[in-house]
Amino acid sequence: MINQLGNYSLVFCVLFSIFIITQSIRAIISKNSKFDGIFYNLVFLQLFLVVFSFFCLVVNFIVSDFSNVTVYNNSHTSKPLFYKISGVWGNHEGSLLLWLLVLILFLFLFILNSKKSENSYKLLTILFQEVIIFGFLLFIIFTSNPFEYVFPTPIEGLGLNPILQDPALAIHPPILYLGYVGTSLVFSSSLAATVNKSINSDWAKHIKKWIFASWIFLTLGIMLGSIWAYYELGWGGFWFWDPVENVSLMPWLCLTALLHSVLVLEKRNSLKNWTIILSIATFALSMSGTFLVRSGILNSIHTFANDPSRGLFILIFLFILILLAIIIYFSYEIKNTNPSNNFFWLSKETAVLINNWFMMYFLSVVLVGTLYPIFLEVISNEKISVGAPFYHKLMVPFLIPFFIFMSIGPRLKWIKDKFTKINYYQILILILSLVISYLIVEYSGVKYLFSTILISTSIFLFYSSASDLVKKNVQFPQKISHFAFSLLIISILVNGIYSKEINSNMKVGDNLTFMNKKIEFKSINFEKQDNYNLLRGNFEITEEGKIPINFQPEIRIYDQPVISTSEADIKTNLLNDNFIVFSLLKEGEVFNVRYQQKPFMIWIWISLIMLAFGGSLALIKK
Amino acid sequence: MKKIFKLITFSFLFLILINNSVLADNKISKVDSISKNLRCLICQGQSVYDSQSEFAISVKDLIKKKIEEGNSDNDIYEYLKNKYGDWIMYEPKLDKKTLLLWILPLILFVFGGLLIFKKAFINYNKNV
Repeated sequence: MINQLGNYSLVFCVLFSIFIITQSIRAIISKNSKFDGIFYNLVFLQLFLVVFSFFCLVVNFIVSDFSNVTVYNNSHTSKPLFYKISGVWGNHEGSLLLWLLVLILFLFLFILNSKKSENSYKLLTILFQEVIIFGFLLFIIFTSNPFEYVFPTPIEGLGLNPILQDPALAIHPPILYLGYVGTSLVFSSSLAATVNKSINSDWAKHIKKWIFASWIFLTLGIMLGSIWAYYELGWGGFWFWDPVENVSLMPWLCLTALLHSVLVLEKRNSLKNWTIILSIATFALSMSGTFLVRSGILNSIHTFANDPSRGLFILIFLFILILLAIIIYFSYEIKNTNPSNNFFWLSKETAVLINNWFMMYFLSVVLVGTLYPIFLEVISNEKISVGAPFYHKLMVPFLIPFFIFMSIGPRLKWIKDKFTKINYYQILILILSLVISYLIVEYSGVKYLFSTILISTSIFLFYSSASDLVKKNVQFPQKISHFAFSLLIISILVNGIYSKEINSNMKVGDNLTFMNKKIEFKSINFEKQDNYNLLRGNFEITEEGKIPINFQPEIRIYDQPVISTSEADIKTNLLNDNFIVFSLLKEGEVFNVRYQQKPFMIWIWISLIMLAFGGSLALIKK
Repeated sequence: MKKIFKLITFSFLFLILINNSVLADNKISKVDSISKNLRCLICQGQSVYDSQSEFAISVKDLIKKKIEEGNSDNDIYEYLKNKYGDWIMYEPKLDKKTLLLWILPLILFVFGGLLIFKKAFINYNKNV
């Protein structure tokens, strides 16, 4: 019954979609500038229908109605309530329904928030957004309907993949989707402004909020995923250059470029075409991300769906949308640029362009690295892997000039600045940071000129952004975000260079010496939990002159489906994370034990939260 | 006040780094450094180093044996590549089929730089 209600409500949604599209086209053609309440009401009803449909699916999951195929495939009666609910979006069908929900929600919020905008622009945005909604509705109903039946009704479900049963991962998809889908609104609005020929400062001011909102959610979403990878996958890393991670990083890089260029548009009424291109590209990247993940093309731990018809549908849909965008862009492109918009090479405009330049470069590395192996395999049937070493080689050297530009850029003025502004004090700091990093590198034994320069430029950046914190002429949100970014960079570099680890096979009672620490495997306990069995290891780490610390990592053996996962035990302080994890080996009594000391780990998360916080300050600022 | 703030944070950071670096004298074993660059073929998205699968363990043993026999890193990579294909290597070697992979981003970088140069120098001078 609930199942049918959910399904019908989706079908009604399609009718609404068609109706809204035709109504908005009629309103645009007739140039009837009266924007009455009809679209507000229609979209509200559509939102209601899809929320209702989503609610039905949630109820199905809560009551464990296994006649529903999605519930059957992804749930189990013994699962805790929290994971029953998060299981709704822990799978392909449910997550697309959530995606659709957010699409419509954003359109509704847009109508609510743009009362002052021009009618023709608003109508066009509604039209474009509704076309996207329509495409997703068809996609869900025809290739991934969450309300399909299983007959006869099974008694028990197949269960949710245990590595997905985790609080960070339960909220990771909704947050990430808010970011992804936010870009769809930026896309619709950019196309609308292009057609309406109203790309100007006012529009930039209006769309900026949406760009910031998407960027904040995307930042937080990526962070949650990476926190999860850090403690759940048990390898101690937080970024693996896994294709699915890359796919979320690409729109982030593009969006970061966009939120800088839109500021130029707002303040100086320039870079119009470029801002539109970035808006289109950001959305295209979000969509192709969905395509790559959902089609099962990527070889990745995240890929749950392996259905070529789904991939084909998204690919065609994506192709149509991009084609539409390109046609609109070229037919309405602004040809004659106003000469008064030009700027001197030493100016904030150039600094923003340089930011965009590097963002686009990093984006192209990730894009080529992710897609090239797929194309190569299709064309020549040869399989190659593109992993961390590739990305590091192509990206890390470019960080050096990037840091230097980023230290100087925010201090420049619009249009034209003078040389004297680059003061000697900054140069002194640059030299000082070079000396200090040389000493650090010299002492640590990492005797590479390269890391010296890399660390010094990052310290230089840290100092410029820290001293900007107390400056009056820099915008507050920008101060916070730039400072957070430099903190993030330093933390990642220090973490990358100074992390230490030991990996060894141990039995109960074994000892291990690592640096000046003694690691003792004391005992092992068995415990029974609701939906899994637990092996708890007791480790004691003693360091001379300090109180011994106990670590209790776990191995969980889930019943449904039978999978074992390792839960790391992490002791965090401001300087270091101490991370211990153990896993089963084939020969019963021996376990693989991995101990890691990861400096500055907590600062990576702190700085990411601070980065998003800086963004939200920009959002609430008038 | 500003300068004091700078000085304090500066020296603080310096001390942290020095402290950490003094502790840092363990050398990563060669087996570890090699196995980090290899994909575990039967796992999903794990390196040989990270994995405890039978395949990964056998590859690690093989690397150990090869090192003891006096092979260089490159010999070992070559050997594994011949045995399992390019798929095992996380860093694709620069050759005919991966040329675009390596240089496409660099070409885009140069191209972008030229565009900015044109916008900031040439357009400006034209209009002044």
